[in-house]
Amino acid sequence: MYQYSEQDQRLIEERVEQYRDQTQRYLAGQIPEEEFRILRLQNGLYFQRHAPMLRVAINYGLMSSRQMRMLAKISRDYDKNYVHFTTRQNVQFNWPEMEKVPDILAELATVQMHAIQTSGSCIRSVTSDQFAGVVAGEIEDPRPWSEIIRQWAALHPEFAYLPRKFKIAVTGCEQDRAATQVHDIGVRLTKNDAGEVGFEVLVGGGLGRTPMIGKVIREFLPQQDLLSYLEAILRVYNLLGRRDNKYKARIKILVDSMGAEAFGAKVEAEWEQIRDTELKLTQAEIDRVKADFALPAYAADAASGSSYDEKLNSDQDFAVWIERNTFDHKVPGYRAVTLTLKGLLKAPGDVTDVQLDAIADLADQYNFGEVRSTHEQNLVFANINQADLYPLWQALVELDLARPVVGTINDMIVCPGLDFCSLANAETLSVSRQIQQKFDDLDYLYDLGEIKLKLSGCINACAHHHVGHIGILGVDKNGESYYQITLGGSSASDASLGKVLGKSIPRDDVASTLEKILSVFVEIREEGERFIDTVRRVGNKPFKERVYAAVN
Amino acid sequence: MPLLIDQKVVADDHWVRVDDTEQLAQLGNNPAILAWELFSQQRDELLAADGELAVAIPNDLDVVELEPLLERLSVIAVDFPSFADGRAFSQARLLRRAGFKGQIRASGDVTRDRLRFMHRCGIDAMEIAEDRFSPEMLGAFGEISVNNQGAEDDPRPIYRQ
Repeated sequence: MYQYSEQDQRLIEERVEQYRDQTQRYLAGQIPEEEFRILRLQNGLYFQRHAPMLRVAINYGLMSSRQMRMLAKISRDYDKNYVHFTTRQNVQFNWPEMEKVPDILAELATVQMHAIQTSGSCIRSVTSDQFAGVVAGEIEDPRPWSEIIRQWAALHPEFAYLPRKFKIAVTGCEQDRAATQVHDIGVRLTKNDAGEVGFEVLVGGGLGRTPMIGKVIREFLPQQDLLSYLEAILRVYNLLGRRDNKYKARIKILVDSMGAEAFGAKVEAEWEQIRDTELKLTQAEIDRVKADFALPAYAADAASGSSYDEKLNSDQDFAVWIERNTFDHKVPGYRAVTLTLKGLLKAPGDVTDVQLDAIADLADQYNFGEVRSTHEQNLVFANINQADLYPLWQALVELDLARPVVGTINDMIVCPGLDFCSLANAETLSVSRQIQQKFDDLDYLYDLGEIKLKLSGCINACAHHHVGHIGILGVDKNGESYYQITLGGSSASDASLGKVLGKSIPRDDVASTLEKILSVFVEIREEGERFIDTVRRVGNKPFKERVYAAVN
Repeated sequence: MPLLIDQKVVADDHWVRVDDTEQLAQLGNNPAILAWELFSQQRDELLAADGELAVAIPNDLDVVELEPLLERLSVIAVDFPSFADGRAFSQARLLRRAGFKGQIRASGDVTRDRLRFMHRCGIDAMEIAEDRFSPEMLGAFGEISVNNQGAEDDPRPIYRQ
């Protein structure tokens, strides 16, 4: 993974001291509340329902075991012994003291971690594919490009006070696991007719109150022009994005009102002015960053052992886990493993300090000391020798990190909701427990096949409910939590926005409503058809008829 | 109002702000920063007259409109109407890119924690509200010594430094 240069390290250390000084001046009454709000958000600190929440960046979801131990230590020393992984691959501490945040940041800086731009109206931490570098058919590893973008975005003097938050995702693969079509900018590695690798650039995707799919404004961008092109987009947005209404301030609204073509033309005109300046990336820099993402030293004989096949045949539970929770690796004899943070009746994405330390040890033992976080609130060991899969699985079972539910409705993405978040309108955690309890029969889940279920506690859509095959949005009705269901969304390469099924339902009916929807699916699906494909084929109507039959 | 120029406190500012025709009539030969609307109304006479010219622009103005004037202007004041508004950072950069060599002055919500970014974007003068000024605020310029991006203070990104 990327190793900080002396300057990278100095930057984050100086940023800690700058933030410490800002905190002290705020506490001394020298910075008004509204100003400090913006300053602390740019450094990841929210004031939540019960306590502050500190969001720490895990850039493009990549961590070392050493960093993971630091997260565990901080959760013990400053918090309540657990952390929460988010849908943007970052990690949150839910109970830090505001006065101690500078100390936490100083500890994070010792392991090359920070909270820079994890919140606020600025360029947020960059997200990418959790299987970057190890999947077959990838055009190129997206992580070096994500890192190059991170460095450019960090403390950019011109773009720290944008109209609204700004999220960039990068993917190197046809199967889009980074949701690039629902980001402010999606960067997709591609090849032109001459076989050169460059980028396709999308703008104006996003979820929240006004969900939209991003539009392609450039089909092929040469590699060395990546930063000048991003800078051109940001400059146009900074100058023209709306600032009179925060619900209309995202770039998607600007792109939609101007039209993607006119917006693209503005960007191209600005880019012409700057593409041949010093912003152009040098080959030396590209090579320097890429060198830090060189693949580990794989064992040449990994595919030759027989123990793995023997265990697959002799241990049914292990075989199920392999099928559900592991992923094909481009190197023969290796697999990528998903550690599910979806323990039964636990808050999705939560991990205890004990688990964190144990995961770090396992990463050192089996995975070259690396851990990745995913958009779906799980963790990944991307490079497991197949001979190690069995002992690793046994260890993960002990840690309750091996529930074989990846891709099922028990692998749902859930925001913290009303229990923690001051923006939320509705509870989410009790609903996710209710769903897990209702659907605890794994054979039934497997029979249903891949279903992406996403549950948000408010319109801000942190859990991306619009792009769930089944999306659930919590709403408030006279102080009671109600839930609106959408069907047919996707954030993969066939991205689409879900359509609302009907009027919202009370909290206690969520799981039984899902049961009705799924029973219709089981009745009408064609051989081998996924849920999303059935919905696309027949629309919402048959599901709607069943769900609302009794009350009509 | 305290004024910083080139990262130093300047004792007296010889520019005054003029927003309407009445003030303009009383001005005499004193150098003034004219509101953009006022300047635009009397543009031809003002450009024909001798003496230094300066304007204060709104932050939704397309700075392309200023390009024919850049040689003639001594000061362009850019506006930060609130602590959340960052349009003038881009305006300043575009003015410098267009070749403006005079003073770019930040006015409005100008406080310590944005001074360094202003400086990096080519703003060389900052008007600070009296109640937000303290001599220690000059320390803001040196808080972060690493510039990952090229900007107006140094066009080289980190990989060309």
